[in-house]
Amino acid sequence: MSATTTAAPAAKTAPAKASRTKLSTPVILLIVAGALIAVAAVRAITGARDVTSSGQIGGALQMAVPVGLAGLAGLWSERAGVVNIGLEGMMILGSFFGAWAGWQHGPWIGLLAGVIGGALGGLVHAIATVTFGVDHIVSGVALTLLAQGATEYLAKIWFNTGKAATLGGNPKQSPPINSVPSITVPGLSPWLAHVEAHHWFLVSDLAGVLGGLVTNLSVFTVIAALLFGATYWVLWRTPFGLRLRSCGEAPVAAESLGVDVYRYKYAAVILSGGLAGFGGAFLAMVPAHAYNEGQTGGRGYIGLAAMIFGNWRPGGLAMGAGLFGYTDSLQLRNGGPAAHALLLLLVLLLVLMAVWKFSRKSYRQAVLSAVFAALLLLWFLMTDTIPSEFVSATPYVATLLVLALSAQRLRMPKADGKPYRKGQGK
Amino acid sequence: MRRVTRFAAAGIATAALALSATACGASSTQSSGSSSSSGKGSLKVGIAYDVGGRGDHSFNDSAARGLDKATKEFGGTPKELTAKTTDTDQDREQYLDDLASNGYNPVIAVGFAYANALKAEAPKFPKTTFAIVDSVVPGSNIDSMSFATPESSYLAGVAAALKSKTGHIGFIGGVDNALIKGFQAGFQQGVTDTKPSDKVTVQYLSTGSDLSGFSSPDKGASAAAGMLSQGIDVVYSAAGSSGTGSIETVAAKKGAWAIGVDSDQYQDPALAKYKDSILTSAVKNVDVAVYDLIQSVHNGKPLTGNNTYNLANGGVSLATSGGFIKDIQPQLDAITKKIISGQIKVKQTP
Repeated sequence: MSATTTAAPAAKTAPAKASRTKLSTPVILLIVAGALIAVAAVRAITGARDVTSSGQIGGALQMAVPVGLAGLAGLWSERAGVVNIGLEGMMILGSFFGAWAGWQHGPWIGLLAGVIGGALGGLVHAIATVTFGVDHIVSGVALTLLAQGATEYLAKIWFNTGKAATLGGNPKQSPPINSVPSITVPGLSPWLAHVEAHHWFLVSDLAGVLGGLVTNLSVFTVIAALLFGATYWVLWRTPFGLRLRSCGEAPVAAESLGVDVYRYKYAAVILSGGLAGFGGAFLAMVPAHAYNEGQTGGRGYIGLAAMIFGNWRPGGLAMGAGLFGYTDSLQLRNGGPAAHALLLLLVLLLVLMAVWKFSRKSYRQAVLSAVFAALLLLWFLMTDTIPSEFVSATPYVATLLVLALSAQRLRMPKADGKPYRKGQGK
Repeated sequence: MRRVTRFAAAGIATAALALSATACGASSTQSSGSSSSSGKGSLKVGIAYDVGGRGDHSFNDSAARGLDKATKEFGGTPKELTAKTTDTDQDREQYLDDLASNGYNPVIAVGFAYANALKAEAPKFPKTTFAIVDSVVPGSNIDSMSFATPESSYLAGVAAALKSKTGHIGFIGGVDNALIKGFQAGFQQGVTDTKPSDKVTVQYLSTGSDLSGFSSPDKGASAAAGMLSQGIDVVYSAAGSSGTGSIETVAAKKGAWAIGVDSDQYQDPALAKYKDSILTSAVKNVDVAVYDLIQSVHNGKPLTGNNTYNLANGGVSLATSGGFIKDIQPQLDAITKKIISGQIKVKQTP
């Protein structure tokens, strides 16, 4: 799934803009197939097997989930008109409280505590922004600072004393938490691994991607995926969702129709906090087994970027998170050589872009894309690897590039971040 | 309504500040005068820990051990401060200033992150002896304690080469700064000197001023998983707490070994589940250096200049807990001797 995102969105979804129609299922499938062929070709040419290996896809999924959950949290809040830059703080609360309950009572109670911790952060943000009308950015930043300070302080008390300390807790880290159960589909996973090992063009790549999705899949990842579906259904298919979104588009109009805007905003922001808390708890329990100070590492902000990339929609957001997870995992697993292979993919993408722009008679953009493609191709051919400084920037550069390419199509909820007081429309 | 808004904004901002301040205040006032009789009072040791402070099971704890030992022997009241993740150079200067201006001598800064702060503060207090762990800061009243971690990493490399079955070995660095590159250099040299045909794959978790690579176990785990899939069967991680992620991942694969860093990670209770996969650890004994310095001040001949703690004086070593390297101990001992005698020159940069 995530492998497809690198190639697809920029080059091929754009024609949809002109006709203003939604992408139909066959078109999406075609894009996915095209992307897979492109990636398979890159693997065959460069020999960078990690581009489609099952380990890479599994790793990408694990990297993508916290970012995706943070984005989903932002989506809920911003759809109701509240900018939530405090996601990072809510994630910190989630990872801290998740680990605190998790090491004592197991991962499930930990997950619950993480969600509640994050939701409390959401509640604070809601009180400040909705009831008191504090600027959303100010409140969000304050919340992140508050969460950092509070968890640092509490970690000293809770993780560095008594039983916690003897089990390996310290002021920066919680004692270890038991593992979250994970799923491996019996029969299918080994068979896919077998096919993957042959390194056949396209077939093995497909097996690798599918294998990554069905091997050692954490239950928490499954829950996160379900939450994406649930979000879409609730926000776009139920009256509750319609009212909630109306609070983000035109709160005064919603109010005139009898919607209690404050209540919907509260619900959205608290849910948002809970989702961010889940993201934090995921970080503390699935890729790691403990809370670590600074563990969230800015993922709350990257989640916001993924949400904007996804045009405030769950599907696009999942692609954004997948793209980030894919490149991040790739550079961590295989460093220079893998990032080097991505260069070729970028060349392919730019060539496609140039052809498309040319056919639409925007010659300047076509030439620009072609020149960049040529330069990158030259770089690709002249070197074997990429300096590590560039490699670790890969996920950020990839996100930035795609954001830049798709920025024209983005539309945020109309009343997002605007102050709203009850009865202001009178 | 506007007033309410402003009031609330101010309230929240104040609360946030107050809480972050509490977090730092709690650590700042934590002075452990437990073992001191305070009657003597001649020796006032001030120590500023890096993030994590006392109880981090790593180099801060090691420094604290040296301090405790010295306090027990020489008496006096130590004052301990701890840095936070968010601290800037100015904050760190403030810590050192607080200690020095209150008459603490020596003042020990634990961690290379204090280097800039120390550069600014040391000239202001010429009569105070300063010390810094893991960095070299010039100055007539500064004891720069450097640890020959490339030497212990060299030994770790030898152990890795002797234990690897695939001949493919991995190194995970937290951040690609000079300090960690020294680990990499020694380790690579140790491997290739022992088995020239062996290959070392290097992966850093973050670069430049982004220090997140020291505190991201998930990134450590990803990097280790990538290495295992390439057929690597011994992974040495010099990556702070990110290393726990890689140790966990390596432990899940049968026959693969992890090598720990800084403290004897076999003994870390948080890693008890995985300790049977921890081959050894390249240990840095900060306590030796801290004790040496306090003793020298106590004797009236404060250590200054660049003091290196290496294999020869027990500043660095290879942990033996678990007994997994017992069979190759004679070879390791022979190489240790060669390093001490200068027969083997360990590289500082890759």
